[in-house]
Amino acid sequence: MNIPISWLRAITPIEDTAAAFAEKITNIGLAVEAIHKPGAEISGVVVGQINSLEKHPDADRLVIAQADIGSEVLQICTAATNLKVGDYIPVAINGANLANGLKIKKGKMRGQESNGMLVSVEELGYTREDYPEAPEDGIYVFSEPHPLGADAKPFFGLDEDVFEFDILSNRPDTNAVVGVAREAAALYSQPFSTPKINVREESPGHASDYVTVEIRDSVRCPRYIARIVTDVKVGPSPGWLRRRLGLAGIRPINNIVDITNYVMLEYGQPLHAFDVTAVAKKDGKHGVVVRTATSGEKFTTLDGEERSLTDTTLLIADHEKPIGIAGIMGGENSRITDDTKTILFESANFDPANIRMSARQLGMRTDASSHYEKGLDPNLAIVSANRAMELIEELNCGKVVPGMVDAYPNPRTTHTFAFKPENIARSLGLDDLTSEEICGYLNRVGIETDKNNIATVPTYRADITIEADLVEEVGRFYGLNRIPSRYIQQVDGKQESATYGPPRHISTAIKDAAVALGYYEARTFPFESAKVFDKLLLPADHPDRTHITIRNPLGEDMRIMRTLPLDGLLESLARNYNNSNEAAYLFELAKTYHPKSLPLTTELAYEPTFLTLATYGPDMDFLTLKGDIEELIANLNIINIGFSRYNLPYTHPGKTALIQTLPGKGENHPPAPIGYMGEVHPKVCGNYEIETTCYIAVLCVEALSQLYVPRRSFTPPSIFPAMTRDLALVIPESVSAAEVETAIRERGGPLLTQVKLFDIYQGPQIEKGHKSMAYNLQLRAKDRTLTDKEAQKTLRSIVDNLQKKLGAQVRDK
Amino acid sequence: MTEKIISLRTKIETDLKQATDLADLETLRVSVLGKKGEITNLLKSLSQLPPDERRQAGQAANELRDWATLAIADAKGEITAREQANSLATESIDVTLPGRRRTIGRHHPISTTHTQLENLFTRLGFSILEGPHIETVYHNFDALNSPQNHPSRDETDTFYFSDELLLRCHTSPMQIRVMKTQAPPIRIVVPGMTFRRDEIDATHTPAFHQMEGLVVDKGIHFGNLKGMLELIVKELFGPEAQIRLRPSHFPFTEPSAEVDITCYSCKAKTMEGCRVCKGSGWVELWGCGMVHPQVLQNCGIDPTVYSGYAFGLGTDRLTSAVYGITDPRLYFENDMQFLCQF
Repeated sequence: MNIPISWLRAITPIEDTAAAFAEKITNIGLAVEAIHKPGAEISGVVVGQINSLEKHPDADRLVIAQADIGSEVLQICTAATNLKVGDYIPVAINGANLANGLKIKKGKMRGQESNGMLVSVEELGYTREDYPEAPEDGIYVFSEPHPLGADAKPFFGLDEDVFEFDILSNRPDTNAVVGVAREAAALYSQPFSTPKINVREESPGHASDYVTVEIRDSVRCPRYIARIVTDVKVGPSPGWLRRRLGLAGIRPINNIVDITNYVMLEYGQPLHAFDVTAVAKKDGKHGVVVRTATSGEKFTTLDGEERSLTDTTLLIADHEKPIGIAGIMGGENSRITDDTKTILFESANFDPANIRMSARQLGMRTDASSHYEKGLDPNLAIVSANRAMELIEELNCGKVVPGMVDAYPNPRTTHTFAFKPENIARSLGLDDLTSEEICGYLNRVGIETDKNNIATVPTYRADITIEADLVEEVGRFYGLNRIPSRYIQQVDGKQESATYGPPRHISTAIKDAAVALGYYEARTFPFESAKVFDKLLLPADHPDRTHITIRNPLGEDMRIMRTLPLDGLLESLARNYNNSNEAAYLFELAKTYHPKSLPLTTELAYEPTFLTLATYGPDMDFLTLKGDIEELIANLNIINIGFSRYNLPYTHPGKTALIQTLPGKGENHPPAPIGYMGEVHPKVCGNYEIETTCYIAVLCVEALSQLYVPRRSFTPPSIFPAMTRDLALVIPESVSAAEVETAIRERGGPLLTQVKLFDIYQGPQIEKGHKSMAYNLQLRAKDRTLTDKEAQKTLRSIVDNLQKKLGAQVRDK
Repeated sequence: MTEKIISLRTKIETDLKQATDLADLETLRVSVLGKKGEITNLLKSLSQLPPDERRQAGQAANELRDWATLAIADAKGEITAREQANSLATESIDVTLPGRRRTIGRHHPISTTHTQLENLFTRLGFSILEGPHIETVYHNFDALNSPQNHPSRDETDTFYFSDELLLRCHTSPMQIRVMKTQAPPIRIVVPGMTFRRDEIDATHTPAFHQMEGLVVDKGIHFGNLKGMLELIVKELFGPEAQIRLRPSHFPFTEPSAEVDITCYSCKAKTMEGCRVCKGSGWVELWGCGMVHPQVLQNCGIDPTVYSGYAFGLGTDRLTSAVYGITDPRLYFENDMQFLCQF
């Protein structure tokens, strides 16, 4: 909400500068988002008077004016035709700055001196909508005399500081000039009373002679006030009112509309004006009926749109037809026209929830509805109605009929409750704050307190219902920033905590290892397109297609919760590829989401966490990624991990491995899967438009955390020398490296400390159907220097085993 | 014998002079001092001499052996020094050639912020918890005292799966889960992803991160909250950073406040035209307040005995503040050019 400072000062004296006031009022919770200074760029415009007008000797379209600006008389050439001698006009002097960056310098026009410029409203940044009395293509002429040479900006509202306030949702009372002025008075400890309203009521009769009001739904409409204005004269509003509206960001239209908008800004209460002839008579009076619509009822609003209503839409109607949608927009059939003679002014109160719902259903959020949906004090309706009548008389645009029709079945009264000042002091950490001080702060904002510590809260502060609300009031006027900071009190006892994610220590260990291995941590959205399953080549009946759907997604691309932790990272690889990044090494710890049953209604989903690595690059291949996984797992002190051939829809059929834990020595459980890895299927790469080979690995964090050993027990380093022996084998092609290594380790025993495969060869020297595999073995004893004889014995046993189990032969040199 | 010794010494001296490298010297050493070397043979032949001669000749031969051992070692030292000097003089590399880097990766900048904060909170005795992303309406709204009519409940603001389940729009539901299962004293922080139905643009992403903090105990007051907030800001932005508390409104805290810090862009010089703070010198960072008595009651905690405070740090925004990142979409695009900077 935008409010010019002069409007606030008209109600509450503010001696601070705009900036100081903004800071102080922000600190009590009425945040000033910005201070606007309309016309800040304009300077050097003063009041002048035309002394004489002569035709320019050498230019038909120009006249030479002599403008008196008090200190001197300036000769100025102008093309305007609306001027006459004696007019008071704004004059831009030499060096002036006008709107849109226009700069004024003295010079000559067709040989005649011109020492400035006579200006129009456009040159001051306005349009003729703001100043309907300004001539088309002409110089603005003041309607009354002003001191010559005075700064002209104030007369155009161009010297104003305009505050943009951010209104809190629980404080609709501050969504108005009067409400802000009331907070300002509390801020400066000034007494506050709402401005006096004085209505002369010069039309004959009484409002109840004209109109009846029947509320059929007093929950949705707690109050309805009707006032009548006769002898209506529709026309433009005076400059001061138009300026205030303009500064507040509302376009002036005509006096009647401007008054309703002005009162809405001033008090926060929307008003509506009906042409009374549109309200059908019953028993000789215009009968207003507030009722809900029937489902499917049609109604055309002011903007000419036909609206379809539901049985919760509240209508303003007569006994025959609707004339407006309550709190949102009036009807086309009851609008004010140039022929309107008598107006029914509505000042009503509506249920905020219903207005919000109706406005949403109808897809029309108006100034009125946005005020109503915050929740207004029904007692505001009468002040606002009277203020509108006062303005009608002040602007001389009609005669007010005495009295009003006020349907208010259940008046809202002040709320009272007991409080303990010591509780308030303690909650704020201000033990020394006295009861008097506390009550003083409360009294400032209009909360009355008595000696029994009963608080009486005015009806416009519906947000205050309990003691904690009083704590806030005291806190904000004492000053939250003045409250001394204290470190948290000592908490005794150890907490037992339920965790809903992987334990922190393993996720930290995993991330640190991944980063150390050269991977960059990524973050992706957990929602994705249902097309992902096709992109990943999942068969129609694949269990990972069982997913959870968002009812109101941001779009098809973000419709379902992911069941596989792949799409986001593959998209990220694609983005890196598109951005010409030579390599990408990404990892993410992220959840997937699985329904325990479908459709999802009340039961929470299963949300396991996965570590996913996704990568491409010149240095990356299957074995490099595998090595990284091995190192990462080893870093978690997890031993006995095996890789075996595996098949997945989205990976290369020959380059995919299942990662499992194997039973250790003396254990007898079956291998348990902990993840998988592989080269991404080329078709999948194609689906993501990545034209290079990508690799992924997925590890289940829950499984890793079962196996994770935060600290392994210590083995002292051997001080005895190691022996290395190379072993070159010829082995049938079908035997896997894992089988060879297993056979070597079976016989190596505790002496075998390291097995390294350093060469694989197939070629002319090797028998067909076979391959050569060369291993480097390290043997070392913990407690003695190994003898050559012992080493030979172990080596022979290993070779024996390889021959018997795998048909391997030691290769001759 | 004496002549033999003298001539052998002369020969060795000549050979030593001719030895130019370590290989020559080793050949010389073997030919003189080796198992079948000349001095070795000489020493062996001593036994054939008569005893009176043997003593004198033995002494001379041993002297020769000691002299030769020393002389060869000296020569070796000289040659080694010469060769080293030579190679030091000739070997050199272009030190400006690119290094062969073995790169490590990087943590995501938001993780770094989380880690920094988690380290602070664990030092202060907080437990760190996570929570389900898919939450119940009860935990996300009802139990947090959110009015039925609150705009954040709208389908335009929050993602729903059913009338009962949604994607949590803040980490606050964990306040409820913890307070319902745990008796005070409670000190927790909850980092994690949260979701709001915002279109992706230069200032919004539909997923973002928060870190919830909750303390419940006897006698917790606003001054405790303020002390904690100052610790957090100083941890992230250094000892000079100042905070400002502004009264605000959240359904689940009362009193409520917004936390502003001195603008990290214009350093509170309130520069006209600072885009970050719009010239105010302050930047809004997160909301906080004293736990609403109704929320305590909803969780079975007696608000007349216990009180507490809560805060919800927007960690994407904090991270942006720390690094000056202006576009939050970068956090989710995972471009290596972005990630490698942290």
